[in-house]
Amino acid sequence: MTVAVTTDRPRWRVAAEQSFALAVRSVRNTARDPSAWVPPMIFPLVLAAIYGAQFSRAAELPGFPEVDSFLQFILPASILQGVSFNAGDAGTGMATDIQNGFFDRLMSSPTSRLAVFIGRLAGAIVFSAILATVLVLIFTVFGAPVQGGVVAALALVVIAAFLAVAIGGFSLAVAIRTGSSEATQAMFPLTFVIIFVSSAFFPTGLMTGWYQEVAEVNPFTLIVNPARRIALSGFDWGDFGQAMFWIAAVSFVSLGLSYRAYLTRLRRS
Amino acid sequence: MSSSSAAHVVANGLVRRFGDLTAVDGIDLDVGEGEVFGFLGPNGAGKSTTVRMLVTLLKPSAGSASVAGCDVVTQPNEVRRRIGVALQDAAIDPLMTGNELLRLQAVMQGLGGKPGQQRAGELLERVGLTEAGDRRVGTYSGGMRRRLDLALALIHKPSVLFLDEPTTGLDPTSRQAVWEEVRSLNDEGTTVFLTTQYLEEADQLAGRIAIIDGGTIVREGDPAALKEAVGDPTLRLEVADPSRQEAARGILAGFGGERPARAGRIAIGLRGGTGSLASVIRALDEAGIAVGHVEVDSPSLDDVFADATGRRLEGDGS
Repeated sequence: MTVAVTTDRPRWRVAAEQSFALAVRSVRNTARDPSAWVPPMIFPLVLAAIYGAQFSRAAELPGFPEVDSFLQFILPASILQGVSFNAGDAGTGMATDIQNGFFDRLMSSPTSRLAVFIGRLAGAIVFSAILATVLVLIFTVFGAPVQGGVVAALALVVIAAFLAVAIGGFSLAVAIRTGSSEATQAMFPLTFVIIFVSSAFFPTGLMTGWYQEVAEVNPFTLIVNPARRIALSGFDWGDFGQAMFWIAAVSFVSLGLSYRAYLTRLRRS
Repeated sequence: MSSSSAAHVVANGLVRRFGDLTAVDGIDLDVGEGEVFGFLGPNGAGKSTTVRMLVTLLKPSAGSASVAGCDVVTQPNEVRRRIGVALQDAAIDPLMTGNELLRLQAVMQGLGGKPGQQRAGELLERVGLTEAGDRRVGTYSGGMRRRLDLALALIHKPSVLFLDEPTTGLDPTSRQAVWEEVRSLNDEGTTVFLTTQYLEEADQLAGRIAIIDGGTIVREGDPAALKEAVGDPTLRLEVADPSRQEAARGILAGFGGERPARAGRIAIGLRGGTGSLASVIRALDEAGIAVGHVEVDSPSLDDVFADATGRRLEGDGS
């Protein structure tokens, strides 16, 4: 018989199941598409290898933090880079769904509108945590373990996970606004530049002029500095709180932009 | 809600504008429960825009519509629970398997866990994809994707099924398979709203059709009646004994005006349609004229379309 399926479960419960199912899909699809996870994994490692060789003496400069190697200094930067790569994928995935009509399929079903949004971000969170864990392990193998110990390493993973929301929010905003995966991908070089004009690869104290001024107020600097202190000298609630505070602040902006774009898209339709 | 109104698709003065362009310009629809309704028109006529409004993906600029008794603007979620939707170009995630997609769609319809899993299995079997169920959709052929698309639309046993050009780009065998499935769904009581640019598809499947052109409905009704309204069917006849040709011509003249025919044949516009065929044969028989060959060519839906719009739907490559 043709009777609509009725559910007597509460709406929030159904929405939570939908968010979960969509998050699983997002993680699984990332895992199945090497072009989605190989670059975020390889690119930071290649850059770290080059920088490690090129700037190994830089760690001896006066004003440079106390580290065993330059590699240890740039671990948080490598994580940041990997996460920004991967978080961009949240947006690209959403844009692809919009382009190929999968988004319409979800929208013509009684899918919770919030679940579609949360599913994408949750996918990015999980994958970024995995990515950070793998990077930490690889750095350890190459002689640059997290000096701060296991708890510090775990804190880095948590920071990486939420950083995915902060950055992923921007890519989602572009994706939802344009519905174009090309436009979303085109955002990556911008993130790349913003990371370079931060303390990610060099302490701001060793920079000069406008570059230093920009780097000092760059949100990535404000996030990377406490993360690095945790990595180098152990877990500290103050540093952790500071990193999470700035991540939350950036997320507030990026999620605000993307959610507004989302509502506009839903209204326009 | 009474069951008689549960599967209706009703639209009143439905309009959708995109900037200066009016894609749908005041459409009225009334599709009854259990019907297969064909929405026929060329590309860009407004078919998909209409469907997108009916399945709650687009808000009407004016007018109103309800599906299965629920208003598409004020009760979108109620509509979404009752409809199955397969839009143009089977929107399917190539990285997922057929089974995963069905189970995801089940969760989207509030059917998680075991029941969803069971339903996914049933549907894979129904559309003949059991073996391919655990393969990624990216490896499926066009026909398989379309069948999966159909299965996805059926996961929650919807009372109204919307199919937007379900066979565009399919080979004849796959097209037949989709038609079979649509017929059997309709037999089970599902109302089907189908858009197509293929005359044969509308002819084969739809009990009632509307022809849309330039955003307005130009003809609506039962395909046979529409074709009849265009004009009398052409009767072509060949007598067994060529010497009786002129006698036959005289008798046939009483049944309709003569039409051009190739040598050795007589053609008339058969008044009263195929219903009068028996009388023609009887009259010839009474005159002792044996018939060698006879065919009746009804006006096609293309003739209906041409009559309504002055253009041909098929073969003009639009």
